[in-house]
Amino acid sequence: MAFIDIDGIGKTFGAFQALTDIQLSIEACEFVTFLGPSGCGKTTMLRTIAGFITPDAGTITVEGRVLSQPGAALPPELRQMGMVFQNYAIWPHMSVFENVAFGLRIAHVADAEIKSRVARILEAVGLEGLARRHPGQLSGGQQQRVALARSLVVEPKILLLDEPLSNLDAKLRERMRVELKTLQRRTGITFIYVTHDQAEAMALSDRIVVFNQGRMQQQGSPRDIYEQPANLFVADFMGLVNRVSGEWCGPAQVRIGAHVLDVTSAAAIRIGAVTVAIRPEALLPVTTALEGQNLIEGVVRESVFLGNIVDLCVDIGGVELHVQADRWCTLAAGDPVRLAVEPAECVVMKNE
Amino acid sequence: MGQLIAGSLRGQRFGPQNLVLGLAILVLLVLVAYPMLWLILGAFGVPQDLTLDNFQRAFTRAQNYSALANTLQLGFGTGLLSMAFGVSLAWAVARSDMPGRQIIHLLVALSYITPPYLTALAYIILLGPDAGLINRLLRDVFGFSLGPLNIFSMNGVIFVISIHVFAFTYFLTHSALKSIDASLEESAQMLGARRWQTTLRINLPLVAPAITGGVLLSVIDSLALFGPQAIIGMPAQIVFLPTRIYATISSYPPRWGEASALSLVLVAMTVIGLGLQRFFLERRSYVTIGGKGVRSQTIRLGGWRWALLAVCALVVAMSAAAPIGVLTLTAFSKDWIAPLSLSNLTLAHFGTALFSDQVAARGIYNSFRLAAGAAFVAMAVGASIAYLDLRTNLRGRNVLDYLAMLPLGLPGTVMAVGVLLAFIRLPIGVYGTIWILLIAYSARFIPLATRSVSATLRQIDASLEEAGRITGSSWLQSMRRIVVPMARPGLLVAFLLVFIPAFSELSATILLYTGGTETIAIAIYRLNDLGQIEVVCALAVFTIAVVLALSAMVHFLSRDRTAPSEGVG
Repeated sequence: MAFIDIDGIGKTFGAFQALTDIQLSIEACEFVTFLGPSGCGKTTMLRTIAGFITPDAGTITVEGRVLSQPGAALPPELRQMGMVFQNYAIWPHMSVFENVAFGLRIAHVADAEIKSRVARILEAVGLEGLARRHPGQLSGGQQQRVALARSLVVEPKILLLDEPLSNLDAKLRERMRVELKTLQRRTGITFIYVTHDQAEAMALSDRIVVFNQGRMQQQGSPRDIYEQPANLFVADFMGLVNRVSGEWCGPAQVRIGAHVLDVTSAAAIRIGAVTVAIRPEALLPVTTALEGQNLIEGVVRESVFLGNIVDLCVDIGGVELHVQADRWCTLAAGDPVRLAVEPAECVVMKNE
Repeated sequence: MGQLIAGSLRGQRFGPQNLVLGLAILVLLVLVAYPMLWLILGAFGVPQDLTLDNFQRAFTRAQNYSALANTLQLGFGTGLLSMAFGVSLAWAVARSDMPGRQIIHLLVALSYITPPYLTALAYIILLGPDAGLINRLLRDVFGFSLGPLNIFSMNGVIFVISIHVFAFTYFLTHSALKSIDASLEESAQMLGARRWQTTLRINLPLVAPAITGGVLLSVIDSLALFGPQAIIGMPAQIVFLPTRIYATISSYPPRWGEASALSLVLVAMTVIGLGLQRFFLERRSYVTIGGKGVRSQTIRLGGWRWALLAVCALVVAMSAAAPIGVLTLTAFSKDWIAPLSLSNLTLAHFGTALFSDQVAARGIYNSFRLAAGAAFVAMAVGASIAYLDLRTNLRGRNVLDYLAMLPLGLPGTVMAVGVLLAFIRLPIGVYGTIWILLIAYSARFIPLATRSVSATLRQIDASLEEAGRITGSSWLQSMRRIVVPMARPGLLVAFLLVFIPAFSELSATILLYTGGTETIAIAIYRLNDLGQIEVVCALAVFTIAVVLALSAMVHFLSRDRTAPSEGVG
């Protein structure tokens, strides 16, 4: 049995099906990210774990103890979890010190110990010397750290983070990302993180769980999810992708226009129309293909120099492919081009 | 699979959250729903009977019929005057370069804050047919033998009520005009429109919903204002629905059924008005009322600005300066008929009003404790209902919210009839005690508190409370340490918004008080009947001073709210 077991969770709000049959196990000390567009159910799932939402179906078990079941949920205050909110939710009528000390005071920790523990955690998040400030006098990044300190000081086993970086500017976001990762490694707390930003999810997570329309689409390591998307939604959401219509023409071959590609597929039945997903950076302009690679011939329609890469639009006979070549590529519009691509990069999916 | 610890799982029915909120729902039902139920049942003759006779009588009995006709005439008249006063003053203050705009604005607020029955008393002193100060002046100057003006007339009632209720039109139009961005007018000007064309084709359509909404609010309020209707209308033998209801219940034996039916007629008029007002203000509003960060054009009037000032000054002189001035002057005069002189000044009336006159002193004491009690109850219930509506997903919470807003559509007289019918039958003896007044006041002003707390609660994000929960505090602890401290200024405003109208409440009190439970308004009303004008004025000045000080406090606590509490008469 895993540290956290989420078993068949479902939730509806009126006619809206917010979550459908969520099945997930999370190990202790893992950094798991719920990723998906807004309204996909990721925040609902997080709030169900926190105990703010009671599920209609399924159970949530932590260390063998059922915390949520249909129609009943242990209140959040008894779950010994921490949570960082998107807007930080720093109490404006309390100083930084009082904000952080709140959980300890509720737990009747002795004053002397509160002082030392708050001081220690403020130092850990880089807020030493700001204990007497009021939230109004803090920058967004500092408020973020107060929110972190406040949830960490009570030493929760699980920390829930609801888009904690989305209100920060790009530079600060990058820095906080590194700090969060380091913090998680150091404390060994299980992090469950919600975001709609796939780059953030990849940078932080041990495991990503992709949500869409209240359903889990796929879970796996960032590399798995990027390279072997389970469906078109995941492929699209995780980055740029060429979606090409084709038809099975062999046990591991799909015909696209005049071309026949060797592909990988998890599908059992291999007949009929399908879509092949190919990442733009997997298509390499070459002179000759290596052993086992697919070779596609086409004509460059457009070529844009972007600094670190060159963006190409290549016509392969009625179908246009988006290609990201390295910056030394000098192909111009009208040039003939040959593109090499590994069969493993040609992922076949059902049409949707 | 793990063990389920049933006792600690939520879904438990008797947690502190459910107890607190459940209690509030119960209080709301007892205070608002229960009297309303009896009002409706009573109109059908229940419990003795089940009949439509009362409605028939409400429309056919001559006194009732004329009360209905008079009420409609009153509404029509105040609507017209309110539009004339409200729109012109709003335009002058919001858009022109007329001098003294701030002062005019403040004086309009003052005319709204002054309890309208005190304005009515002031106008008896000013425009009484024989001894009225202005009449005497006019006779001296122009040599009239009689009058020439008589406040005790239909026009008198319309006038006195209009100078109170025009504030609705003024405030709504003012903020609508203020929220039109200059770019909207400038675009028209760039396309070649003249100033007057812009006003007619851009500004007027933009503020029309606000004007209509304001006028309708004025009309609705005027129908319910028992004070001026009684103080000026009764001596003139002009009866309106609220005074007719009062007479029906004060007759012997009281005709409860007929009073209920008349009340429902009055409610129907109010509800239709409110429905229309909502329609105009919400569905057809192009301008965000109270919008901020808008740049507005000021219109230069040249020499005309002094003429405009004269008109505006005349209106606010009539609505605020003259009535409050004459009340103050009379309060400090030994004899109000005698001409103004130093030897005529005295503080004696304040001594009488505040200390020696038993009814007056008791009235002040009762008004303070009733207002405080009602403010507390309304605030607590309002806060709970607002919380239920905004923070829980309780089924039927919007019904509760609607119920908490319902008394806005109920004139004080009607509320009193409902409360009487409902509680006179209960074995617990609240009738004839101060408790029945507390019930009526709390019920009447719950909407003000609910709306105010709701606005406050909207500004406190739910995550602040949730952060408390996940950090280990229970619901009660989160309320006590996070939500209530953050909402404190808003709660205080809600408290004051109820305290102020409750302190000077007359229209419900008049039906519910008995010897010993007189309030300040009753003391004023009764001493006026006894002709003790100077003591009445001392009480009036005291009331205005209290109300004004508390209103200033509300303004200070919530600086971004420009309009004072609305919808109370």
